[in-house]
Parts: sequence; C-alpha cells; structure tokens
Amino acid sequence: MSETSAVADGRDPLGRDTIPKFIAYNAQHRRDRPAMREKDLGIWQSWTWGEVDSRIRQLACGLAASGFRRGDKLAIIGDNRPELYWALAAAQALGGVPVPIYQDSVAEEVQYVIDHAEARFAIAENQEQVDKLMSVKDRLPTLEAIIYSDPRGLRHYDHSCLCAMDEIVERGTAYAQSHPNFYEEELAKGRGSDIAIICYTSGTTGRPKGVMLSHDNIVRSANLAIAFDSISEKDEILAYLPLAWVGDNFISYAEGSIAGFCLNCPESADTVLQDLREIGPTYFFAPPRIFENLLTTVMIRMEDASALKRGMFHYFINVAKRAGRAILEGKPVSLKDRLLYGLGELLVYGPLKNVLGMSRLRLAYTAGEAIGPDIFDFFRALGVNLKQLYGQTECTVYLCLQTDDDVRSDTVGPPAPGIELKIDPQSGEVLYRSPGVFVGYYKNEEATAETKTPDGWVHTGDAGVFTDDGHLRIIDRAKDVGRLNNGALFAPKYVENKLKFFPFIKEAVVFGHERDYVTAFINIDLGAVGSWAERNGIAYTSYTDLAGRAEVYKQIKGCIEQVNRDLASDSSMAGCQVKRFLILHKELDADDGELTRTRKVRRRIIAERYGELIEALYSDKDSIAVEAKITFEDGRTGTFKANLAIAGVETYTPMRKAG
Amino acid sequence: MAGVAFFFEVLIGGLMAGVMYSLVALGFVLIFKASGVFNFAQGAMVLFAGLFFVGFIEIGIPLWASLLLTIAVMVLLAGVIERLVLRHLVNQEGIILFMATIGVSFFLDGFGQMIWGSNVRQLDIGIPTDPILLFDGAILVQSFDLYAAVVAGALLVILVFFQRTRIGRALRAVADDHQAAQSVGIPLNVIWVIVWTIAGLVALVAGVMWGSKLGVQPAIVGLALKALPVLILGGFTSVPGAIIGGLIIGAGEKLAEIYIGDFFGGGIENWFAYVLALGFLLIRPQGLFGEKIIERV
Amino acid sequence: MTAAPKKIGDVLLKVENISLSFGGVKALTNISFEIREHEILAIIGPNGAGKSSMLNCINGFYHPQEGSITFRGWKRKQMRPHEAASQGIARTFQNIALFKGMSTLDNIMTGRLLKMKCGLLSSAIYKGPAEKEQIAHRQFCERIIDFLEIEAIRKVPVGRLPYGLQKRVELGRALAAEPTLLLLDEPMAGMNLEEKQDMCRFILDVNDEFGTTICLIEHDMGVVMDISDRVVVLDYGRKIGDGVPDEVKNNQAVIDAYLGVQH
Repeated sequence: MSETSAVADGRDPLGRDTIPKFIAYNAQHRRDRPAMREKDLGIWQSWTWGEVDSRIRQLACGLAASGFRRGDKLAIIGDNRPELYWALAAAQALGGVPVPIYQDSVAEEVQYVIDHAEARFAIAENQEQVDKLMSVKDRLPTLEAIIYSDPRGLRHYDHSCLCAMDEIVERGTAYAQSHPNFYEEELAKGRGSDIAIICYTSGTTGRPKGVMLSHDNIVRSANLAIAFDSISEKDEILAYLPLAWVGDNFISYAEGSIAGFCLNCPESADTVLQDLREIGPTYFFAPPRIFENLLTTVMIRMEDASALKRGMFHYFINVAKRAGRAILEGKPVSLKDRLLYGLGELLVYGPLKNVLGMSRLRLAYTAGEAIGPDIFDFFRALGVNLKQLYGQTECTVYLCLQTDDDVRSDTVGPPAPGIELKIDPQSGEVLYRSPGVFVGYYKNEEATAETKTPDGWVHTGDAGVFTDDGHLRIIDRAKDVGRLNNGALFAPKYVENKLKFFPFIKEAVVFGHERDYVTAFINIDLGAVGSWAERNGIAYTSYTDLAGRAEVYKQIKGCIEQVNRDLASDSSMAGCQVKRFLILHKELDADDGELTRTRKVRRRIIAERYGELIEALYSDKDSIAVEAKITFEDGRTGTFKANLAIAGVETYTPMRKAG
Repeated sequence: MAGVAFFFEVLIGGLMAGVMYSLVALGFVLIFKASGVFNFAQGAMVLFAGLFFVGFIEIGIPLWASLLLTIAVMVLLAGVIERLVLRHLVNQEGIILFMATIGVSFFLDGFGQMIWGSNVRQLDIGIPTDPILLFDGAILVQSFDLYAAVVAGALLVILVFFQRTRIGRALRAVADDHQAAQSVGIPLNVIWVIVWTIAGLVALVAGVMWGSKLGVQPAIVGLALKALPVLILGGFTSVPGAIIGGLIIGAGEKLAEIYIGDFFGGGIENWFAYVLALGFLLIRPQGLFGEKIIERV
Repeated sequence: MTAAPKKIGDVLLKVENISLSFGGVKALTNISFEIREHEILAIIGPNGAGKSSMLNCINGFYHPQEGSITFRGWKRKQMRPHEAASQGIARTFQNIALFKGMSTLDNIMTGRLLKMKCGLLSSAIYKGPAEKEQIAHRQFCERIIDFLEIEAIRKVPVGRLPYGLQKRVELGRALAAEPTLLLLDEPMAGMNLEEKQDMCRFILDVNDEFGTTICLIEHDMGVVMDISDRVVVLDYGRKIGDGVPDEVKNNQAVIDAYLGVQH
C-alpha cells in the first residue's frame, strides 16, 4: 500500500505487535474498566482488565510450569467462557499457538485437529468435551495433558493425564513467585510475525485445513476495522458464536483486546436471546440465519397479538420501510414521515428493539451467506445499523465492509481500507492482497501454494463481479459456477439464495451444469410451512408428510416462479430459471454429511446420494419412489420409503432492456 | 355545572357501593385461588359472621370481645369445614366441591338463623354516618362509605403482603397441584384451614360493614351474589381484580340506573351488573386481571 | 473413565411385609426390601406390577394395610406425604405434578418451602433476615438450575415447556429439598434418546455429587441395568427378584415375567 501513515496500514503506533501486549496495556490504562462478563447462577459476573490480565498471567505461568513451551499448540474446546479466552491469551503470551476446536465436533473431528496440529495440551470446558478427548486419547501420541475448567462429574476420572484448571492456576501462582519476571519476559519475546492462532476451516470438501494467522495479520486487520467503524472501549459485544470460528476470535477477542471493549459470555447456548436483551450490546455480529430467526419470531408473536397491537405494528413497520433506511443513512425525508417515524420509534421500534436486545446497538454485521433483502431491510428500517461484510478465514475475516451510508442487500460493499481486490477475467474469481493475508496452511505447503500466488495475490474461491460504482457482488463459489448445455452461465448458489429468501424454503439445491435446464431440490421450513398449514387446516404428521402435500407443492411452485421472473429480468442469469423441482422427503442434515457444520450445502455428497432423484428430474416422470437411509441422533441408521412428486414450473423469456 | 357535580355524586356513591361488593368478592377469590373451589357459601358466611357478631353484642358482650369471639367462631368454622367436608373430597372434581359448598351454604344460612333468629338486626359499631360535603357542597358523600373504602383498602394491603409470605407461596402451590404440593412438604389440611379462616375473616369484615349499613338480615346472602359479576369482570384469581371489578360494577349500576334506567322503566340496578358481566364474558373470558389460561400448543 | 468404587452405606429405608389393597384388589402382597445409603435402586416390573403403589407407600400417599416401613431407623405405619417430605423424602411423578402456572424458578423455589425458616410476619415485611434467607434460597435454586442446564427456561411458566423439560424441572424441585431419599417415578418415560441420556447423566450426577440415595421406577431396561446398583423386580404385586443388575437379568422368574409366561 502506498499510504505512509502508520495507522493506514494497520500497524500499531505504540508498537504493540501481539494481542497479549494489548491486554497488558489495557491492564495498565483501563485497569478498572470491565473486560469480560459472564452470567453465572443467574447473575452477571464481571472482570476488569486488571483482573483479566492477572488471570491470564496465572494461567500462562501455570501452563509454563506444566511444561508448555514457545511454539507449542494448545487445543481449546468448549463454549464461549471467559476461562477459555484467558487460556487462549495465556498460550499466545507464552509464544504458543491456540488451536480452538468447534465445540460440537464429534470425537473423530477433534482427534483429526489435535493430531494434525500436534497439540501437546488441550483445554476442555467440561465433562462432555473431556469425554470426547479421552475417547480418542490413545490415538493422540502428542497429547500430554487435558485441562478442564468445570470439574462437575469428573471427580472419579483417571487423573493421570487430566488436570483441573484451578490446579494450573495454583501452579502458576507458585511459579510466578519463584520467577517474578517470567511473564514480562515471555511477553516481550513475542513478535508480530509469530503465529497467533491456527483456525481449522471445515471446508465443503476434504479434511479441514489449519489456517495460520500471525499476530501481525490480526492486529493490523483489527486496527483498520476499528478505525473504519470507530469502535471504542465503550462498546459491548456478546461472544456467542463458536470460539473456534475465526470471526469470534477476531471480533470478540482480538478487537475487544485491542479496542479495550467488554466481551460478554452468554449463560448457555440456549439463553443467548435473553442474554442479548440483558446486555444490550452495541456491536453485534450474526450470520443471516440468526437475523432471519429473530424476524420470524417477531412475526409469529405479532400473529398472536391483539388486533390493535397488530394493526399498530404493521402500520408503523410500513412507515419504517418507507422512511427508516433514509433516516438511518441521513438522506432527506419528508417532515410527515419523520414525525411518524418518531412516533413509531416510541410505540413500536423502540420496544421491539428492546425485546431483541438491540436498543443500544450501533453496529451490526452479517456475513457468511447472502442475507434476504426483506430481512436486511426490516432491521435497517428499524434503525439498526446492519451491514454486510465479506471475507474468509484466510484474509483474517474481512475483505469488504459496507460503509454506514451506502448499504445494499445485494452487494457486499467496496473493498475495505488496506485491501486490494481484483477479479480474474477468465474464471471470474475474486483475488485479494491485504495485511491480513494468512501465513499458510499448517503442514500443507501444497494447498498454500495453490491458494497464494507468488506475487502475493490470494484466491478466494468465490466468483464475483464489481458493480459500476465499485461494490463487489458475490455470485457463487468459483468452482461451482458452471454452464448449461446451451452455454448459458449457471450460478447455483445465486439461484439457491434467491429461493432461500422465501420463508417457506429452508434449503435449496439446484442442478444444471452440463444439463439442458435447471432443476431444484427443495427443503421446506417446517416452522413456517407448518404454521401456514395449521392456519389453513392442513393436517400433517411429520416433515415427510407435510413435504409431500400437494398444497405445499403449490406454494413452493409459486415461490419458484417468482424467482424465475426475477432471474428473467437479468439477461446473464436468465438461463438459470428452474424448470422442474421436487421437495425432499427429509431435511438436509449436517449429521448426515449433507451440510457443513456451518450449514453450507455439500453439493457433491448430495449429488451422489440422490443421483436417482436428479435423473428423475431430467426425465419426464412425475413422481419417484425413494428408499432413504437416515442416521438417528444416536448414530443408528434406518431406512424408510416415500414417493416424491416432481413438479414443473413456468419459466419466462428474458426481458430485453428498453432501448 | 350542577349536572357534572351530580354525575360525580352518583359515581362516588356507586364506587362506594362497589367497595362493599368487593369485600364479598375478595372472599371468593381467596378460596378460588388457593383451592380452585368456587365457594358458593361465601355469601352465607358473610351473614353467618354478621349474625354471630351482632348476636354477641346483643347479649351484652363488649364490642372488642364480640369481635374476638366471632373471629374464634370463624376459625372454628374453617376447621370444621375442613374436617367434615374438604378432607374427604381431596383430589375430587371441582364441580363436586362446588356442590359441597352449596350444601355448606344452606347449612350456614339455616344454622345461623336457628341460633340467632331471622329478624333484621341493627348493628352499630360507631361508624359515623353523617354526610360529608365536597367542593363547597357540590358533591355529597356518606362518611360511612369512606370508612368502608378505607377498610377495604387496608384489607387489600394485608392480603397482598400475605401472598408474598411463605404461606402465600404454599397457598399458590396447593391451588396449582395438590399432589405436587404435598410432595414438597406442604400439609394440605393446614392450608385448607388457613384459607377458609382467611375467607371467614374477610366475610366477617364484609358482614360488619354490610350489617352496619343495611342491618344484619338474610337478604345479605342474596346481595352477596352481586359478587358474581364482580368476579367475572375482575377475574376469579385476582385480588386487585376483585376490588376493581367491584368498583366498576358498583359505579356502573348506579350510573345506569340514573341515566338509562328510565328507558327501561327503572329498576335496572338489580340486573344491570349481570348484563355487564355477560357482555364482558364474551370479550375477555378470563376477566380483567385473571390469568390467561396457558396451554402448550 | 474408571469410576472409583462407590461407597454404599447402611440401610436407609427398610420395607417389611407391606401389603396394600384397594377395596379387595391386592396391589401389593407381602413386599420386603431395603434401600441402602448412596445407592441407586431400581424397581422394575411389567405394567400393573405395583411399582407406583410401592413408591406411593414410601412417601405416604398410600397407607398399606399391613407391614411397616422404617426410614432412618424410625418405624412408622402411617405417614402423611408432607411428613415424608419433612423427613427428607422427595419425589417426582409419572404424570408430572408441577405448578403449571408458575415459572421454572418458582417451582424449584417451592421445593425449598420446608427449608425456609423466617416467620410469617418478618417475611411479610420482606426485610433483613428474611431477605437474606430469600437470597440464599435463590442461590441454591440457581445452582440446581445450572446443574440441570435449564437456565434458558428459568422464567418460563412450566405449563409451556415440552415434556422432557418439565420432567427436568420436576427433578429440580425435588432436589431443592435436599432430600436424603429421592423417589423417581419413571423419570425417562416419553423421552427421546438424547433426553434420556441427559436424564441418566443427571441422576448419576445427583447420586455422585450430593450422595443422594435414589429409588427409581423405570421401564427402559437398558437404562435400569446401566445406572442402578441394585434392582427389585415386582410382578402382580409380589417381589420376584432382588439383586445387582446382572443377577436379576439371569433370574428365571424375572425372565418369565417379562416374557409373559403364565403362572
């Protein structure tokens, strides 16, 4: 980058180059400000930066006393708990590398990551996680010690390689007494080029890859983002997304440590919505799915509300839809709408935001998947500054950030400060160069070389286009973009997303590469379709039963036709119109390997498993019998039979732009 | 101006009458809340308490001693009802308990009059009855009514506090599920006695107030049935509901009598309350403050 | 995961020659068995074998016509349920008996009624010691909520909860009384596999962490054999087996009863 200012490239003017150095700084300069909170036994407990710093010191010293060395990996598995964040920081302070693992991973997945990362130490939140580790311990020669934070149920376990976190802390306190300068010295040894974290990405295919990010990557990216959105120590965030996901690590932990704001841990995964309400964060990140769920909850509640409330709600939501976004973005609005909006704020938006925990929200991001325009507009109309970002683990979370005054639902915004983007003219793939470019995939030179070009550009794997005013629009995974037999462009995800924006459609998989036309598998949303069915007096016994109903087919057909009309209006996408579809007899499930843990469709597995159904879609049959294997929650498998209908859909001729 | 003053006079008069309904309704609510029983005998208990109280006074017992004696009678009554009736009907359907309270009602009615006779008796415990003039005499209020309002208010405060106590919690538990309450160590019989005692004491207060106003007479039992529309309005399970419901009914029927009574040829005061309650049932069956029936769907 | 051998203590409750009949119909005939401190004892048997009647006798809902029950060395013939509760016997019900209109927290708080000391007047004023006591009880209940992982439904009226969670709340209320003996009537009936696993874990943890003696009725044989220390088998109101799970599994009378062999 050509800018000369120190901040413009994200480097810290005070020379702090590792995250633990920022925490130590906070302990000095924000000693009594809250750093972390956690709801425990119904009460919010809080720790100041001073307290957090001393916990991290104790843990770091304890780990060192237990044999943890510079460069060692520390596997961390559990929910968002302050102790786990402290452990993460402690490992970093010692020059070690935390390797967070998704808490819902099965034992084999945990085994793979620990084995691949060669972790010597693992920190587990509780019995559930300890059980997983113990069950694969024999196959993990490098793993020496398992440290747990919640002792419940573990009293009678074999403690030869198991140790309570409290004991580590005790060891640390003793160690710090005998080595008074140890922690400071270790901290000073840290360099920006040290690896700060290895994040294993689930990926849609193959084994997870360990993305190595350096402290430089994280510190510089965070500094740029903090400046971009004026994030300060006064912000509050709820850390509820998996600890193992780079986004939580970056937004909650790294930005929190660098900007000095407070990180709140929910009481449990089930209480997030209540905790959100109680904390009222100012800064919030959620995948589109969560915003969608929030909106659905609101709508369902309004269905049950009294006529007066319902009428008021709909009236003011319409006012908000008309004027809300303009007011939020500082654009001119008529006086009448402004007054009505003010009244609406008092009567509807304010109370609603309060219920959703968004009263104090000043900055909300969503990413990961495309967000439905209705959902996006709803929240912005309420006055919630919801924006999209685009990025991936390899670039340290973000490449594009939407600016407060120019937010759209169909683009992800212009390149963020400090980031260079270009689009490969042949493949349409987006490439980038930035301070956040990852160091490499751990123990996978080959994959690293495939992703990073020698001149520093990195492949995102996503196909995208720039709009005339410089916003990036992502259309699909680059490798998934295909061609129909007539040569027309086929972007499956683009179509699927349009389908998924309908509340009735939970998941969609479309086919068309090297085919004559486009077809689709649909998963209905049991909640939305179920309540629609109830309202219309359609009885059903199960998902499979409901999915097979002719009435449901008719509704879904209507949705698809609307998408077709929409696609027809865009000449480059007109070929992607769906001609035939079927509603799957079962929900696509991560447990069956059909979705990733982050609920992304595993196209290849689905194509393999449901090959017969796909062929039926390209035949002239109007139904097909299936015998499906399903995996129950306990791991047993069974089969069941069903007869799936196949329905045709109207397609439209592309509209020619006038003139 | 005179019209407005008159309106307020009628309104206040009605509200004060409503307080008296509330006093009776409170007894119903307490028992219903604590045991799910609709106690048809509440009206009879009002008369019963009034009869004993006035009876004791008439045979020359001092006022305070009569009061204590009557309280003792009501406690005893609660114990007897528990021992002879309720204990044998644990876990029975609500309708059976309701029938039982009808029986109790007739018994009390008859037994009280058998001992004390059925004459109308004046009860004077020294509550002043002189009128008070407000707003330079524009509005006239009976001072007795004000005392009644104060008594009802005090009763309400005591009852609300009572609900927050350990026994209050136990009462709620018993009301919700007998079996579960027993299993957490709540002695069902003791709770019954407590509930009926409280209802008896509330009946005593109502009896004294009604008795002072109208004289102690069997007609009180019928008047007490005015509590029904009050309950429908306020909700069977809400103490504040009983008060507010009483006020609305009291004010409503007086105002209706004065302002629209002529269309019906007068005398609508006697049935207006029931019509009001019926209309209300159609709109909000659980009453103003009643618990919305929670069902998992 | 090698568990250290559990310490099973003396006899806590002794059932001797209990017979119970309802208007001539014999529900239980001459039943005797013991429950020892810190153990998990399961009572099993086909439908109508008298299992629930047995529990109802132990906690005083039923009064057996013959025989005696000795709890902590105190022999009694008739005892009322609330007396059983005050002696440290808590229970849950097959058909869930919760205070449906109250929240989860309030339900669990009622479990502590017996532990509340402050008098009527002081708690009415709700100040000083009474308030302190309230806070201590609340804290105890919060620990149970944490233990049973029901934080998310703390304020939800239990009538709105799904079945599995109601069962959990009921267990929570029983635990709130800090019982010496916990009676569970089909704690896992109607649950899916995951809920059953959770419930098993809770039962084992209660037994382990608090040393609570547990007597449970359960249909799911897998569950029974996994978690119980001892099993008593009833059939047609008679005891036909008593021993550690392995013994009972191989007992011919038990096998016959379950396979429906006619007597």
